[in-house]
Amino acid sequence: MDDMIICEEVSKWFGDFRALDNITATVKRREVVVVIGPSGSGKSTWIRCINRLESHQKGRIVVDGVELTNDIRNIESIRSEVGMVFQQFNLFPHLTVLENITLAPIWVRKKPRHEAEELARSLLERVDIPEQAEKYPGQLSGGQQQRVAIARALAMTPQVMLFDEPTSALDPEMINEVLHVMKELARSDMTMIVVTHEMGFAREVADRVIFMEDGKIVEVDTPKQFFNNPQEERSQKFLSQIL
Amino acid sequence: MPPTVNMNALRIIEYDDRSPGDPSTRSTGLSTVKWLRDNLCSSWFNGFLTVLSTGFLLLVFRSLLNFIFSEQRNWAAVKTNLRLLFVHAYPEEQFSRVWVSLGVIVVLAGLSLGLSARFPAIPLRRIGAWFTTSGGLVVLGLVLMQPSQPSAVDGNAAMSERYLWLSAGFILIGLGAVFSSILKQDSRGRVISVAAIPFAFAVLGVLVAGLWLYPWGRFSFVEGEYLQEPASTVAMSTKIPWMVMWLLLVLSWFVGSVLRPTVISRILRLSINVLWLLVPFFLYWVVLRDPAFDWTHVWSVDIPLALSYAIVGCFVLWFLTRPAAGEFERIVAVLLLFYALFNWVSAFFGWHRPELRIFSYFLGSVPGLQNFLDFLDSVPVLQKERLTVLFLALAALLAHYFRGATAQRLRLISGWFGFILVFNYLVTVVNTPSTIETPTDNFIGGFSVTLIVAVFTLLFSFPIGVLMALARTSRMPIFRLLSTWYIETIRGIPLITILFFFSIMVPLFLPDGMDLNEMAAIIVGYSLFSAAYIAENVRGGLQSVRRGQYEASNALGLTTGQRTAFIVLPQALRVSIPPLVGQLIAVFKETSLIAIVGGFDFLRIADNVIPTQSEFVGARREALLFVSVVYWMVAFSISKYSRRLEKQLGVGK
Repeated sequence: MDDMIICEEVSKWFGDFRALDNITATVKRREVVVVIGPSGSGKSTWIRCINRLESHQKGRIVVDGVELTNDIRNIESIRSEVGMVFQQFNLFPHLTVLENITLAPIWVRKKPRHEAEELARSLLERVDIPEQAEKYPGQLSGGQQQRVAIARALAMTPQVMLFDEPTSALDPEMINEVLHVMKELARSDMTMIVVTHEMGFAREVADRVIFMEDGKIVEVDTPKQFFNNPQEERSQKFLSQIL
Repeated sequence: MPPTVNMNALRIIEYDDRSPGDPSTRSTGLSTVKWLRDNLCSSWFNGFLTVLSTGFLLLVFRSLLNFIFSEQRNWAAVKTNLRLLFVHAYPEEQFSRVWVSLGVIVVLAGLSLGLSARFPAIPLRRIGAWFTTSGGLVVLGLVLMQPSQPSAVDGNAAMSERYLWLSAGFILIGLGAVFSSILKQDSRGRVISVAAIPFAFAVLGVLVAGLWLYPWGRFSFVEGEYLQEPASTVAMSTKIPWMVMWLLLVLSWFVGSVLRPTVISRILRLSINVLWLLVPFFLYWVVLRDPAFDWTHVWSVDIPLALSYAIVGCFVLWFLTRPAAGEFERIVAVLLLFYALFNWVSAFFGWHRPELRIFSYFLGSVPGLQNFLDFLDSVPVLQKERLTVLFLALAALLAHYFRGATAQRLRLISGWFGFILVFNYLVTVVNTPSTIETPTDNFIGGFSVTLIVAVFTLLFSFPIGVLMALARTSRMPIFRLLSTWYIETIRGIPLITILFFFSIMVPLFLPDGMDLNEMAAIIVGYSLFSAAYIAENVRGGLQSVRRGQYEASNALGLTTGQRTAFIVLPQALRVSIPPLVGQLIAVFKETSLIAIVGGFDFLRIADNVIPTQSEFVGARREALLFVSVVYWMVAFSISKYSRRLEKQLGVGK
């Protein structure tokens, strides 16, 4: 079995509102899955359930063979295997870029400081901002901050990367620099789940596209199939609205 | 009128000439006039207000001067009593201890300054402005001041002194003018600046050198008599020590700044910060009290006890940090904590070593063991043992973060070992009677006691306050409830009530074998009081930390403790600097309340002691003015420093 993430009939309620409705999906190792759908359709909630920033109330989620339960040690071990990039970057403003990246490797992975710093510098090289290592997040542009956030997640050498609308808070001219990094990452065989509104990215990089609406998975398809010949009426409607 | 038009045109040209972004070229010549007109006299009403408030300020200044320089003021009351005000009853022949303490603090301060990042340079223009302002104030004061009645005898002396001051004022103004106009830029138009620290040292140096000229502290209170000291003792007791202090400060700053760029600067800075935390204990208990050790007791009880607890603790922690440690080890740690707390409770019921009863219940039949247990049971539990067990429990709770590799386990264990040795040393020192004989129970008083109570209160209340704030915002209802109750109760009780309770009531309730000296009682009560306020300030900061920060640290797999220590608290504390500094200043000033429970603090000496001395009957106002100036200087420097700290940490960025 090379299934990285398995979700079986996952459901979640916020009060009476059903945010996730029997989500069943698998993500294979080295696969890039793009999740799209109108806002409020539960895309973010779903990927936040995968590293337990939200807890699901029904069904099971298995990440790399470990089932997510309330056991705190399970959660911690899964979280260190699953990298996450947020819409609002959520860098730590009181730490320099380098400290942002090395904090978790040093304290969670127990790496020696110099090793962690070496790793951090090579990751900054990879996201094209090696010269910003000593600056504070507040001194960087949005695109640079998001790339630091990606480097920070990668520093934990995760098995899976989750992207929660990584370009939605960026100015248009900065979107491409972030997408470029993400494409590089996809080409390096990282398992990725990306929630995004960037259809071009989905078309170019995704192995599969998942379309969600009202907490349900409506359609799962290859990007070619999905964008040229959507099967479901609701996906057709959504695509006609945005394209 | 044509001339006015010309003037305006000239002004505009002048403005256009200057680069708008460069602040150093602003505010000279005509622009001063313009500044005055724009800010103080922009309308009739504004001009009226300016005149009115200027007049009021001048009036206040004049009455202050008249108060200070009045013939009726007896400033000798303050000058003579400087030692009384600062250390109260500390014996004169032991003053070298006070100087040593001060020297240690000065050296640490110099090293910290030298090792910390560069201070901003002060432009010479601003120093010129300071000179001009102070010179102007001197001249203005002389003009405003009511001329003192020239008496027949020393009228001429008074007049010549007046001229002396007047010329000093003009010299200051002249220097200021030279600095701010001629010397403000070099030939290439760059602003000339002076490094802040050497400048401050120079000012201090001038002040210290002034001791050789001006007879501060030529009086002394010896065995109930006021003596004018001979010049030689003054040199030994005041001038030379202050010179030494100044030299130490400059030298240690120099050493610090030489070491700053080296590899060891990081570790040095860390160790100096640790020393700052340890030094109050060391100076107060070791240097100032000079404990008279009972060496047989030290060798037979104190050292074996400390070593055995330290070693047992090492084994316990070694076990708890096993790589495979899990829930069981956590439970053990929590049980240890409960046991540590129970140790105190059981003392109130007169049970020594309650756990031994359990042992003897199960193992009583083993030959010889029962006797050993009985022997142990007969030895009363020392307070420091209870504290050690509590520390062991806290270390056990931390053990979870150090499990795994041997190097890491050894780090926790060596930390524990060192901590217990230092702790036992300090406790032994506290429990050993002092060799310094003082006429009153309080072995030190005056400004020193104010400072000591303030420093210790802050040292203790800060961690308690932070823990309370964390508990109040935690998800565990029992902690939340307890800390909320604590904070609300303490905030509902006046400080005086708490001080009375701790200095008078609590010692009555304590069981045998536990006692609390008066100073300790005050510090404990005051710390608990201040902790409640600090907790609320920190809680405000905690609420300002955004949710995304928690999510990001969770997503990286940080544990709750790591998240709190590295992400949440640093941000929360940064936000709470302004209210925390307010609390710090309040703690410092409200130490004057310890007078009510019998302490001889700074204010009490000024208010009650000096005015009752036979030479200075009624000289209360002079002393009170002096005391308020000293309080103000300390509080002002604290808030000045805090503003610098805020800027450094980028609050509000």
